[in-house]
Amino acid sequence: MPASSDVLVTLPGNVALHARPAATFVKTAMKFRSRLTVGANGKTADAKSILAVLALGAVGGTTLTLQAEGEDAPAALEALAACVTALSE
Amino acid sequence: MVGIVLVSHSFELAHGLAALASQVAGAEVRIEPAGGGPDGSLGTTDDTVVAAIARADVGQGVVVLADLGSSVLTVRHLLENGNSNGHIRLVDAPFVEGAIAAAVMSSAGQELDDVARAAEEARDARKL
Repeated sequence: MPASSDVLVTLPGNVALHARPAATFVKTAMKFRSRLTVGANGKTADAKSILAVLALGAVGGTTLTLQAEGEDAPAALEALAACVTALSE
Repeated sequence: MVGIVLVSHSFELAHGLAALASQVAGAEVRIEPAGGGPDGSLGTTDDTVVAAIARADVGQGVVVLADLGSSVLTVRHLLENGNSNGHIRLVDAPFVEGAIAAAVMSSAGQELDDVARAAEEARDARKL
């Protein structure tokens, strides 16, 4: 199955992708079957791995690149983008 | 949800890590510290570990992480002596990263095998 096109979404200015926000993001990703990745700062992480997402070191205002591959890819990307936009500390 | 037990020689280390993992994963996961010997000494006692496992166990299994050396041996000895019917799992994982990975997996409703695997895969996670 082809990978979907990239979706770009920006973290709220005051929310880094660490601790609780990262867990919220990963838990959203785990609801989907598709292979999901999130890129930031030149690195790419498995969106379902909390440790990989934490290691991105994405601070508030960082633009994340979301990618999905699988049958529920469009829904997953939509949910992840909405999740990022709504993150709070 | 899969419970998590954190076994350390140090009371503070076990409790501090439990607080950190709860902060990341959310308060709904049972993360139970088992650290320190009697009278505040460094060590691990069977009773502390057994009590922590009992508190963490809500029927879907328990993943146990231990810090080093004799903590690992204490848990292993307990489990080998019939204190588990297979749903208590000692994992070979880094203490901090494994606890965080396991706690988040559990909070997402994953099953024992997946929670245990996430903790063990934490060995390969780069920090930078």
